[in-house]
Amino acid sequence: MMKQTFLAAGLAASLALAGALPANSQEPYKIGVSAGLTGYAATVDRAWRDGVELAAAALNAKGGVMGRKIQVVVEDNRSEPQEAVTVYRKMLSSDKVDVFVSGCVSAGNFAAAGLLQRAKVPMMLCSILPTQAEHLVWAFSTLPPAGFEVDKRLEYLKEKTQIRKIAVLHDPTPYANLQKSVAERNAAKFGLEVVSVDQYKQDDADLSVQISKARSAGAGAILKIGLGGTTLTAAKNIKQLGADMLLLTSLEDLAVFGPVAEVLGDKFFFVASPSQVYEALPEGALKAGIKSFLDPWREKFKDRDPNWASRGWDGVMLTAAAIEKAKSFEGEKVRAAYEELSGFQGTTGIYNFRPDLHQGITENPFVLATIEGGKVKVVQ
Amino acid sequence: MTILPSTTSPDRRPFGLVGLLPWLFAAVVVGYAMVVGGYAATVVSFALIYAVFVTGLNLFMGFAAQVSFGQNAFAAIGGYLSAVLTASHGWPPLPAMLLGIAAAVLVAAIVGFPTLRLKGHYLAMGTLAIGLITYEITVEWQSVTQGYMGISGIPPIGIGPYEVTSDRGQLILLSLVVAACAFAAARIRRSRFGRALSAVAGSEEAATALGIEVARYKLLAFLLSAGFAALAGSLFVHVVGFVSPEVFGLHMVIVTFTMLYVGGIGTVAGPLVGALIVSLLPETFRAFKDYQDLAYGAVLIVLLIYAPRGLASLFSPRGRS
Amino acid sequence: MSLAAAATPRAGTATPILTATALTARYGHIHALHGVDLRIGEGELVAVLGPNGAGKSTLLRAIMGLSANGGEVRFRGDVLPRNDAVAVAARGIVLVPEGRGLFAPMSVADNLELGAYRLRDKAEFTRRRERVLTLFPRLKERLGQAAGSMSGGEQQMLALGRALMAGPKLLLLDEPSLGLAPRVTGEILETLGLLNREGLSIVLVEQKAPLALELASRVYLLSLGRIVAELDPRGITSHDDLAQHYFA
Repeated sequence: MMKQTFLAAGLAASLALAGALPANSQEPYKIGVSAGLTGYAATVDRAWRDGVELAAAALNAKGGVMGRKIQVVVEDNRSEPQEAVTVYRKMLSSDKVDVFVSGCVSAGNFAAAGLLQRAKVPMMLCSILPTQAEHLVWAFSTLPPAGFEVDKRLEYLKEKTQIRKIAVLHDPTPYANLQKSVAERNAAKFGLEVVSVDQYKQDDADLSVQISKARSAGAGAILKIGLGGTTLTAAKNIKQLGADMLLLTSLEDLAVFGPVAEVLGDKFFFVASPSQVYEALPEGALKAGIKSFLDPWREKFKDRDPNWASRGWDGVMLTAAAIEKAKSFEGEKVRAAYEELSGFQGTTGIYNFRPDLHQGITENPFVLATIEGGKVKVVQ
Repeated sequence: MTILPSTTSPDRRPFGLVGLLPWLFAAVVVGYAMVVGGYAATVVSFALIYAVFVTGLNLFMGFAAQVSFGQNAFAAIGGYLSAVLTASHGWPPLPAMLLGIAAAVLVAAIVGFPTLRLKGHYLAMGTLAIGLITYEITVEWQSVTQGYMGISGIPPIGIGPYEVTSDRGQLILLSLVVAACAFAAARIRRSRFGRALSAVAGSEEAATALGIEVARYKLLAFLLSAGFAALAGSLFVHVVGFVSPEVFGLHMVIVTFTMLYVGGIGTVAGPLVGALIVSLLPETFRAFKDYQDLAYGAVLIVLLIYAPRGLASLFSPRGRS
Repeated sequence: MSLAAAATPRAGTATPILTATALTARYGHIHALHGVDLRIGEGELVAVLGPNGAGKSTLLRAIMGLSANGGEVRFRGDVLPRNDAVAVAARGIVLVPEGRGLFAPMSVADNLELGAYRLRDKAEFTRRRERVLTLFPRLKERLGQAAGSMSGGEQQMLALGRALMAGPKLLLLDEPSLGLAPRVTGEILETLGLLNREGLSIVLVEQKAPLALELASRVYLLSLGRIVAELDPRGITSHDDLAQHYFA
């Protein structure tokens, strides 16, 4: 009997709590963040969230946006699409979120895109954009086009090296796949030939098969597209195989690159965003834009890599700019105003949105860098 | 609406209202979600879809006492066929769902025929492999599945011009499907086939000596559970409108096992109760932020200590012995 | 009391219901049969005696088609398939295995029902059930109870009752007295005697020789996987007589 009473009470309690609490939609303007705080996207999305929260705090310190304070609601989607649908729904119906500035779990953002379209709530994303035309209307991205990271590397090889044959090594994520296609398409433009394309998995512990294949195909450089520990694995494999090849990797948390540089030395290059090479930037609008973010960031997080957070910061600042432009907090008007934002100086570059272009960065903001004596040095 | 005459008492002894409590609980939760709508509707909808999957899992693991870690493969087959046929080839949802279920059952037959002759760990490992292979296919076969990009623009379930798009409509539809599944499970349990499965669960050798074709019934239970899994996979993609490989990943195996054991393996009401509880609990603790998983885990442990044979077994006379 | 007298069985006259020729079997790595020949007459109750590990259970399993086996088993003249217990059961051979093989969590009623799994005739089903419940009235009181929750004696009754539900022509019993009180064992053996007198052929494997000797018309002695003697139970008066054969 005891058990049943206990159980009944437990069920009743969980039932009562599970429901949506009445949302207080009074004063603050609510920004929702669906982020993979746990799961595969955790590193990136935690940084993104911190950037969003930092920007909200900075705006609130100046009185908010058009007199309203900003409140950030963060929910963990565990890097899973179905969890993302749940948390989007929770933030829409329970928290009455006004806009989303969501993280990099693209499948999660795609899965929820229909919900947002029906609710008429726009989203500014870390990830790539959904493909459905009607979903695309409500979605915007801070992400530079996939080609930029690739082009920067191709450009360097063409201008600064004798290498004309290259290999592409990528993971199966959508963003990496996009970059791979760009590399295949654009290589010729830079007078280069892609002689081998291979895929690996994010948890692979050995890439020597793919690297041997690239070497025997005559590649002088490997474009590695994808994040995580595999970069160090690739570097070690190149060294073990004694392959005379350059390794050029994607944009990544700088912390990853120290050990890689120790293995490969001056044969290792990486794409960096402006905020990562702040010290090396010339004075100007970009450096000033980054400074406004980087000062509070460094105050709070010290040496932590600013790359992903800087785009989260941009996402909030773009939203604030859209609200001010629209002179309205309404979803439909903010959405329309996003499309009109152009020449917006962010920390990652200049954003030029258009009704037919929801991915705002149109000029390549990246640099190619290497590590020399423990210091980041821009080479292109 | 999900109230059924409970058949959790094989001895046909009347035990009154207690046996109805799990169904009453489910009806209250669904009713609540229908009234409140929004976020609660989403959570309960997913729970009902899981209930379909777990009901099938229970046929194989509860009724026949076999182990399969690979049922997510059949959900993926059902879900992806539905998604590809409707979103990419313009099929209406119902035929796509049916074909998805048929394909999953066919694959289950091809895979099950040799593997079900394996016993114990071999069968479990074999099914685990099926799940992993299917996952890899959904990732790698990009021309059809679009890999991690996923497939979007999947239409909601409907017949002709009538589409079920509202929260309430979806909840009603899913509740009807779950009720039908639970009813089918109850009928199966009381049937000759169900008793044969119980015998297989009890002792394969004793069952064989009584003239029960053990291998055939194991296969049949496997096919049925694959059908339920495929139905759940299809329902998921039509309700969400999107599918990507992660949806049917290892995560699904873990969640559904938890549901089966928390709800009560081998009972008729268990899968539904387990699906609802396991879906609602983490939401209950969402406010705990970083401690959400901790609280959820703690409650799971408490549940398994106080109801080691599952919540539904507390309401059946045999379960309390 | 000579060995020759004991070795002249009276069953030579009856038509055989079952004959095994050069039966071999492996069961795990321990128990084995090395070429067993035996024959059971129609309506006969034959006991198979032998020490622990002699291969008694393996012999029954081999007849039932549950163990890999060589040699040949004929049932009423037809060769039985190997390793196909379902087909063997379909002929009307029913095994009550060592440890009874009951479905412990299921009710007594459900266990009985599973015994008649192959039967689709409702009226016949009811008839058999009434018969079993008359033979074992205690089962009637416990129909709704889980099989595993009953006493050992009741469980043995259920195992026997379940076997009878199948309408056996030949009943194979593996140590029905195991772990039971003498009084309960007596009751069960009495019932077996009754069934046998009604014409049911029975093979009874036992370790407790005296019990089996009372009922059996013939006795096989099994040791280390071989039949070492075939005896007339009436000729055996003491344990020493049996022991002689084991060590012969």
